[in-house]
Amino acid sequence: MRHGIYELTGIRVRFGSRVALDIDTLIIQAGRLHVLTGPNGSGKSTLLAVLALLRKPDRGRVIFCGLPVNWSGKQLGALRKKVTLLHQESFLFSGTVMANVGFGLKMRGVDQQETSHSVKHFLALVGLAGFEERDATTLSGGEARRVALARALACRPEVLLLDEPLAHVDQESSMIVENLIASQFLAGTTIVMASHDQHIEERLSSTVIRLDKGCIHRQE
Amino acid sequence: MGFITESLWKAVLLIVSGSPDVLSAVWTSLFISANSILLASLLGIPVGMGIGVGEFPLKRVLLTVLNSLMAMPTVVIGLLVYSVISRRGVLGAWNLLFTPIGMILGLTLLALPIVTNYSLSAVKGADPRIVPTALTLGATRFQSLLQLTREVRFGILAAIIAGFGRVISEVGAAMMLGGNIRGYTRTMTTAIALETEKGEFAYGLALGIILMGVALAINALLTFVQEKRRS
Repeated sequence: MRHGIYELTGIRVRFGSRVALDIDTLIIQAGRLHVLTGPNGSGKSTLLAVLALLRKPDRGRVIFCGLPVNWSGKQLGALRKKVTLLHQESFLFSGTVMANVGFGLKMRGVDQQETSHSVKHFLALVGLAGFEERDATTLSGGEARRVALARALACRPEVLLLDEPLAHVDQESSMIVENLIASQFLAGTTIVMASHDQHIEERLSSTVIRLDKGCIHRQE
Repeated sequence: MGFITESLWKAVLLIVSGSPDVLSAVWTSLFISANSILLASLLGIPVGMGIGVGEFPLKRVLLTVLNSLMAMPTVVIGLLVYSVISRRGVLGAWNLLFTPIGMILGLTLLALPIVTNYSLSAVKGADPRIVPTALTLGATRFQSLLQLTREVRFGILAAIIAGFGRVISEVGAAMMLGGNIRGYTRTMTTAIALETEKGEFAYGLALGIILMGVALAINALLTFVQEKRRS
């Protein structure tokens, strides 16, 4: 059996009586781009929450970076620093764009000067140079999505999880986000992305994981 | 009409001249209320937030108890604390009855359900994505809760202001636990009650004006905070 950055075995997640996720085995290979597809309610967001170590499965085993996840606070604190999830409806904290993009770096104990430098770099990457002092709550939807992406990238995660990153954004933002995903993938970051876009897997030459009713139907 | 005008004039003179009795009652009120609200906040904010974000058995029961405590008559709280700190009570040996500390204990209990409930409401009304977003950016559970506190800071401030408004205007428990001792445990409210009973209407009026000023300031601050929260 090949070893992956994630190895999921016998995973089951329930919401009340409804089974949201039921996976026998799933291996996510490091340094690759994986696209999760499937209809609404197929379990894409739930799977991303498990991969982000935000949702403990009701049953099953998760191995991340070679370590069996025991879901203890201490271990989670260390493991979550390797993975970042960009939610479908990205949330920006109140305050400046600088404070938002620098949040993950602050949590990692990075000093202020380096944080400031990184924030400027990643804001420029998402096409928002000069936005540092802007109030995050006044940004448009597309700008907010790009700030959230810059915030996720600034953490320099080993794994980047993206929940519908191209949904409900204008064409300009969509192109910037897609190019950034491609460049992160080329730089060796493992990316798992939920998407409804029928053609994204062709454009980004990715592995496709098709989910339906919480089960993996096909992995190609 | 002459009586009211004359008393009002005397009251203004008492305030302007800085009557030691008036100043003492104002200071005692502020000191006791500030300490009570500090204690109530230290206990009530974490508890309220904990109940708000946590999922545990009997949560609904706890919420019902908390809501009921909001409506608990102040004299009952006074009675309860009196039974604990009076000579024959569990803490009787500490001689806390008729002291500012005894009053602080009682008023803390009075403010606690208010601060807890307001904090809980602030957390329940907060965006549910705050904690997961912080966690996924590498925050620990504690850091994510600090971030949540930061995001709901205006709700928390409203909790503190509401609690302060409750304790500074309290008279029943303050009278029972403080004993209304001049220059020691006499607050604005207990002094108003006593002096008016004695026929010192102007003195009571002077304190009433100051108390109204404090209440207005608290309300103005609360409105400002709520506006800020909405925006």
